[in-house]
Amino acid sequence: MNAYYIAILQGSVLTVGVSLAALLVSIVLGLLGAAAKLSGNRFLVSAATVYTTVIRGIPDLVVMLLVFYGGTIGLNHLMEAMGSKRTIDINPFFAGVLTIGFIYGAYMTESFRGAILSIPKGQMEAAWAFGMGRVQTFMRITAPQMVRYALPSFTNNWLVLIKATALVSLIGLKEMTYLAKQASAATRSPFAFFLFTAALFLVYTTVSLYALRKINARYSLGTKRGTL
Amino acid sequence: MKKLLLALAATSLLAACGKKEEAAPAPAAAPAAAPAASAPAPEVGPLKVAIDPTYEPFTFKTGDGQPTGFDVDIANALCEQIKRKCEFVEQVWDSMIPGLNAKKYDVIISSMSITDERLKEVDFTDKYYNTPSRIVLKKGTKYTDPASIKGKKIGVLKGSTQEKYALGDLKPAGVVVNSYEAQDQVYLDIKSGRLDGTVADFMEVTGGFLSKPEGAKYELVGPDLKDPKYYGYGAGIALRKGEDKLKGELNEAIKAIRANGTYKTLNDKYFAKYNIDVYGE
Repeated sequence: MNAYYIAILQGSVLTVGVSLAALLVSIVLGLLGAAAKLSGNRFLVSAATVYTTVIRGIPDLVVMLLVFYGGTIGLNHLMEAMGSKRTIDINPFFAGVLTIGFIYGAYMTESFRGAILSIPKGQMEAAWAFGMGRVQTFMRITAPQMVRYALPSFTNNWLVLIKATALVSLIGLKEMTYLAKQASAATRSPFAFFLFTAALFLVYTTVSLYALRKINARYSLGTKRGTL
Repeated sequence: MKKLLLALAATSLLAACGKKEEAAPAPAAAPAAAPAASAPAPEVGPLKVAIDPTYEPFTFKTGDGQPTGFDVDIANALCEQIKRKCEFVEQVWDSMIPGLNAKKYDVIISSMSITDERLKEVDFTDKYYNTPSRIVLKKGTKYTDPASIKGKKIGVLKGSTQEKYALGDLKPAGVVVNSYEAQDQVYLDIKSGRLDGTVADFMEVTGGFLSKPEGAKYELVGPDLKDPKYYGYGAGIALRKGEDKLKGELNEAIKAIRANGTYKTLNDKYFAKYNIDVYGE
């Protein structure tokens, strides 16, 4: 019985790894997506709009099956057509990270876009007037203020992302939800293992909420909270 | 910071695109221009077997993470027959068949029933077991044929072979059939008094209900149910279409372990208490 709990704990390390790595991917994609949407370039705007519309409109599970299995089957057909005997095996960890990152990148795009729009445009114009370049303006003026505006919806996205990692068992990763299912099937006592897994998720989300609150306090230093 | 993130994303992209050569027979990559290189290499590598270890006592994991159960033992016995090593791959049920077609493994040996729908996607060997289904009712209920339990409420698992049977044979005879998302929910509703009984796989209902306190007042009635029209053809080994050589080998191996007593040993290891030969006839 105890050995099952240890296995689930090991699976939870994988869960943390997948979610943190996927978060990085989604932040990068979100920043790129938001930049594209605000660029004013018609091609970039429509590409980013297609990305956020399609990905946010399809269930995560379907995206995962399509990208991972559809992709692998397609590549294998391609290899066969070219006369190769090799089969392609996509590493499930990176596949999971990329798929989840790709999905949540779409949500991050909208969060970041909204946050950037909340900053008065005059601030960026003032920076340019002082001779700062685009990158400098972003790092010194936009990013520090954007963090404060983006944090509430960023927090939401992150919480949902952590829980979405339960889907990566679909592509062959033994994360903790699947291990809990295995343990409950073997012992025929589901509640013990699922409650344990739920508690682990709760620990992760609580710790992240605490950390994000600290970050929020740090980036709200220059602002005054309004009181009635 | 942004540069770091980009660098990380780029390296992970690169790593994910890396190709693995499976069971590489030739160390030097054959040039794509040589058509003669496509001759099939001898199959000497391990046989990759997919299991979903969430189906006790057929496929499950022990506490230390070892796959075990009737399916696993049968797989090992078959591998021994065809002189290849079994390598087990754990896979969630929902993506079992896509994974097979994506060549993540060679076969599925995980209590998968041979059905006409699945045969459209993959190929199957002959069955390696076929457990019957049974009707379960409260002790003392008279049962002779479906018409004799007219008006009784029977719960079944949605999408199951038992549901097909209940809707095809019991419902026309006047039995009320309710479908549930999980077999456990059927048991819960029997307990709460909303149902009079169920139709379920013999192993499932014996292990999951009749042997437990809440099933003490219930019993199996009627004959074994195994009409292929409803129940399919038993559990087989799924493999990709066109793998006829492997299919032939495995069919021979199933016959061989039936003949040499290995099958009986495994059957008794798991099912002696039920006094049943799970192979069926």
